[in-house]
Amino acid sequence: MQTNPLLDKVESVAFMAALVAYLIATAFYFIYGAAKKDRFGRAAWLMLLIGLVEHTVCIVVRGVNAGRLPMTNQYEFASAFAWGIALCFLIFVKKYRFDVLGMFVSPVIFLVIGYAAMQNREIHALMPALQSSWLGFHVSMAIIGYGGFGVAFGVALVYLLRGRFRGKLAERIPAEETLDLIIYRAVALGFLFLTMCMITGAIWAKRAWGSYWSWDPKETWSLITWIIYAIFLHMRLRRGLAGRRAALFAVLGFLCVIFTYVGVNTLLSGLHSYK
Amino acid sequence: MESRSTQPQTKSVNGTAGKLFRFLRGMPFSFILLFVIIAACVAGSVIPQGGAESLYLGRYGAATGGLILFLQLDRVFTCWWFIALAALLCLNLILCSVSRFPIVLRAWRAGGKREIGVWGSWLTHLGLLLMIVGFAAGQFLSREAVAYGIPGSTQPLGDTGLLLTIDAFDVTLRADDTVEQYTASLTVTDAAGASRSGTASVNHPFDAYGYSFYQDSMGWASYVDIRRDGELIKTDLICTGEYTFPNDLPQLVLMFNKFYPDLVRGEDGSLATASPHLNNPHCLYSLYFDGNLMAMDLTEPGAPIPVHDYEFTMYDPVEYTLIVAKSDPTAWLVGASAAILLAGLFLSFYVRPWEQKRRKDHADEPAS
Repeated sequence: MQTNPLLDKVESVAFMAALVAYLIATAFYFIYGAAKKDRFGRAAWLMLLIGLVEHTVCIVVRGVNAGRLPMTNQYEFASAFAWGIALCFLIFVKKYRFDVLGMFVSPVIFLVIGYAAMQNREIHALMPALQSSWLGFHVSMAIIGYGGFGVAFGVALVYLLRGRFRGKLAERIPAEETLDLIIYRAVALGFLFLTMCMITGAIWAKRAWGSYWSWDPKETWSLITWIIYAIFLHMRLRRGLAGRRAALFAVLGFLCVIFTYVGVNTLLSGLHSYK
Repeated sequence: MESRSTQPQTKSVNGTAGKLFRFLRGMPFSFILLFVIIAACVAGSVIPQGGAESLYLGRYGAATGGLILFLQLDRVFTCWWFIALAALLCLNLILCSVSRFPIVLRAWRAGGKREIGVWGSWLTHLGLLLMIVGFAAGQFLSREAVAYGIPGSTQPLGDTGLLLTIDAFDVTLRADDTVEQYTASLTVTDAAGASRSGTASVNHPFDAYGYSFYQDSMGWASYVDIRRDGELIKTDLICTGEYTFPNDLPQLVLMFNKFYPDLVRGEDGSLATASPHLNNPHCLYSLYFDGNLMAMDLTEPGAPIPVHDYEFTMYDPVEYTLIVAKSDPTAWLVGASAAILLAGLFLSFYVRPWEQKRRKDHADEPAS
């Protein structure tokens, strides 16, 4: 597909700048974890914010260059996935003043955008089935949903590993109840958006293929992920699931998210397969 | 999915029946069902679905393949035990929802009907229940028919009583020859002779007479003349994957394997098409006699393929379109249930955040 070389360049530079900013933010968060002063935490947060802005520029420029929403292949979705986690993370950190969470979430952001960097970044025209206004709704919901689950995963790791932290780092970890609450709220956000993602996907599938549900591996694994988080929410709200078991559930749920996103697309064949 | 704190509501139900009732509407039963459904879904996504027996026996060996077939893991999502699981989940949801309704209603009234959030969980479960019921009903009530043909062709549409005419078919290409859209112009005629016309393209089905017509896929077809001793004895139109034969010698079969509009050969001899344009058209065909392969080769349109006294000539390649007509009378129910489910989740998480009132909820009312 013919693209604007200048916009290609801008996108490439913005992408690399975001990647580097996320890497520096990750490094700062680790220094913050060990250092006594809080300024590294602020610097890391600022670096992540800069990364998110650069990342936003990258996505917007690519969208303009492609003439469509840039969320249709492995590179684009991985990039948007990292963007979603970064956005959710910044919101949660701002809301709960929980900078040390960055030690666990920023590496995830870096890994996901690193995965994007390894994908083919060439812009291709969309096949007819992807030319739908539902694409934007469907993928946007997935990005926010996955972002929420990513944050829950990071907080769950903090919860599970908190006993190993010493010194200043241990002091910076919020109380167990707060961690528990953040996990729940992040999962609740993710669950709501995952549900919307599945519903908008079903509407789109009905328009494109005449069937809103066809047990495609991606659909099936989305359902598996949905059920796991549904069990998490039920156990939490009705059976008092909390603490370590809730954190383990959040980790398990995110592993399912990752498999639904990467594993299904690469290992299983179906409508969402990129093989 | 019932909470512990609703248990006192059914104290009047005693004995084995009461225990069974409480178990069937309870959360432990829900969890058992959901975990089994997860296991089934994993199996259904990893094991190829709907294959022939030989596929499973060949790929997994006699023991594992036999087990897959015995457990019906080759068709997980339509087998009796998966349907039974879904039915039991529905039963669980019904019992739970019915028993909780008066409690939720009381809680709502107690809050001066302002706390609409108490309905969140109940609506979520109702939405899920209606979704499963709507989906299941759709499996039985939906109808589907497939038709394919070249522009100008008319054919009955399965057992729908409708006739489908493909008026035109167009593949819109971009400058780089990638496909932008497939568009079929259709006329649908009912049993009374009334007709409606419209276009169906990908993501934009054409609706008529209770059916939605989907532009599903396309391919190439070719006319074939069959001559015996130079005399034309049959003209046929076959699509890729189809075959034709002389009526007086049905054992002699010509199969149309594949069409290359712009044939190019790779260095390793592999065949491909350089573009979708008819720059260098070639048909790949196979000849069979009595089921045995006699030859497989390429031919240019118009070039004769002699076989003893017979001669096949493939010519005038043309694109055909495949149209799928679907009718799903329960789609509205699934759509409505999705809206109810979403409303329920929103109420649960954000209008009346459970987390903040979790302890209070457990103490005074279980319905939210």
